[in-house]
Amino acid sequence: MCLRSSSYTSPKPCKHLADYKLRHAFNGYDSLQNCLKTTPIGRTRVDNHNTKIPRCNFCNGYQGRLYICLMCSSISCSTHILLHTQSKSGHDVAIDIERSELYCCLCCDQVYDPDFDKVVVSEQIKGLCPGRSNKRRRLDSGMELDLKKSKRLIAMRDGRAKSCYPLGLRGLNNLGNTCFMNSVLQALLHAPPLRNYFLSDHHNRDECKRRYGEKLCLLCEIGALVSAMFSGDRSPYSPAQFLYSWWQHSSNLASYEEQDAHEFFISVLDGIHEKESKVRNSSKDDGDCQCIAHRAFSGSLRSDVTCTICGFTSTTYDPCVDISLNLDTVNLSAAEKTGLSTLSGCLNLFTRAERLGSDSKLHCQNCQELRDTSKQLSISRLPLVLCLHIKRFEHSLIRKTSRKIDQYLQFPFALDMTPYLSSSIVRSRFGNRIFAFECENSDSSAEYEIFAVIAHSGMLESGHYVTYLHVNNQWYKCDDAWICEVDEGIVRASQCYMLFYVQKLLYYKANKDLSCNASVESR
Amino acid sequence: MSGPNEDNNTQLSSHIFGDLLDSIIVDVASECHRIAKLGLDRNLEEEEEEMRLSAQARARVADPSNSSETNTKYVVDIFGQTHPSVATEIFECMNCGRSIAAGRFAPHLEKCMGKVIPISSYHISICLYLSIMIDSYYDREFCAIP
Repeated sequence: MCLRSSSYTSPKPCKHLADYKLRHAFNGYDSLQNCLKTTPIGRTRVDNHNTKIPRCNFCNGYQGRLYICLMCSSISCSTHILLHTQSKSGHDVAIDIERSELYCCLCCDQVYDPDFDKVVVSEQIKGLCPGRSNKRRRLDSGMELDLKKSKRLIAMRDGRAKSCYPLGLRGLNNLGNTCFMNSVLQALLHAPPLRNYFLSDHHNRDECKRRYGEKLCLLCEIGALVSAMFSGDRSPYSPAQFLYSWWQHSSNLASYEEQDAHEFFISVLDGIHEKESKVRNSSKDDGDCQCIAHRAFSGSLRSDVTCTICGFTSTTYDPCVDISLNLDTVNLSAAEKTGLSTLSGCLNLFTRAERLGSDSKLHCQNCQELRDTSKQLSISRLPLVLCLHIKRFEHSLIRKTSRKIDQYLQFPFALDMTPYLSSSIVRSRFGNRIFAFECENSDSSAEYEIFAVIAHSGMLESGHYVTYLHVNNQWYKCDDAWICEVDEGIVRASQCYMLFYVQKLLYYKANKDLSCNASVESR
Repeated sequence: MSGPNEDNNTQLSSHIFGDLLDSIIVDVASECHRIAKLGLDRNLEEEEEEMRLSAQARARVADPSNSSETNTKYVVDIFGQTHPSVATEIFECMNCGRSIAAGRFAPHLEKCMGKVIPISSYHISICLYLSIMIDSYYDREFCAIP
């Protein structure tokens, strides 16, 4: 399995561009910088400050594409640009006047250079809000889960493991409408960082009881669960103690009726975090928190609010443990006869620039007035484990009704989150120019592999949750007490409610650790 | 009636329109060229493959001639076990100590922990009756004829 390097790489320059840069470095670019002008719609063009209309030196035409030579600043139209190169040796590279794109006259093609893009972008930024600097809060240099620690996977095997199925596969008894809990637990316990954390006994239950004496510790409960699941005993386990502890923690959610799996998921992460912050006596905000819940699931969302008049952008960052997505049913193109909703469609919807209504004008620091604004979300830091929640349950406060959206959602098994990163979204605002992004994390990967799917079937009030787990290249269906093997097609066709992806690097490491050794079993 | 001016205007406007259209087309072409050259659409093939697999999967599931695993009732799980529809494992409630069947544990625990007390109208009337009885008893006590 070869890992792809960052998908954003600068292309190799053509021979002529490379030659030009060798001989002239940035001279041409620098002298041009003063001639670059950014129009209000964000397009940058070359403006010679002449009041004359630019015309081709050869035919005096002003129509079509015009190019300005980097060496001598003479202007040629697309028909005659080759003539110019032939008449003057070394004048190989020109710039499209309308779009500020480099053009190699000998290759007869548009070419790309990061240094040129940098010049264009700095000009664009200057043009956005003259006189004001965009202050951006610096991101902490990301918290990295100590991968060495999580590699210490202690496999507990005993004679009761009658089959050579992967450890950790064990049914959970339904205690009375608790499939919402069982489904989330199955997914959580198989999330590589959490599973490794608890199996390597990072939270030692005896020590916890000794030091804190409290009866309620969700971390202890989860630890006990993990031990039970990985014990090798394959008879279904009843997570009664866990339910009891959880109800004590989230008394507002404690009731017999069917709950929402996503709510439960958030509540469990919250419980883990609470205990951790009590232990460390810290009130660090979620972005810096080192509890296992945040180390695994915490990412950061960036929100850019842009004034539609002057272009001034105010940026804020918020931590998140998951991303809730609206179904992209609205955006289905007429061309798609099947009317297919896709995960990438939902993510595009999530990161789309949205004009806020005129009734929600915001105060622009630059204009010093209330202005119409546009808001755009993007992901500034990706988590180790990415949980995507599909909002299928609509609650209308006005009509006091709720309904479930049964629309099928296509989702991939391999997910590349690069297009939704802040670096990609911001770059696309500048026409995808190549430039270094200040908060870019080049070391963290944006490629994910799916490992669990929580699917919901049935109606809002009387539905059922199941979890599909991907372990050792095989999909298993966890339906309360029943664990069955399923074909991947079943998973693809299921009605997904929560999707769990893990960073590819962790995924392959995790599967290596878990792979079952049949010869060891036959003792 | 179209004079020479009319002709010029028509020609001019279609000329301008042509220029604008060309400009728009080149804009889009330039953007797509950049995206392709910088490899920003590198995942296109993988995405199409995922879509194809999903469509294939859905077709297979929808096909009634296929014995779909989701539709058939479970006989045995992968470990060769069967399970009843309501879990029968018995254990002690950690709140009150009573022995409860797993499948009925949640509703029991709810009442046991005093989370939700189902007040029915029957209960209300009983409580009311009792309180009246108690009140009248005290009245009699204090009104006892010496």
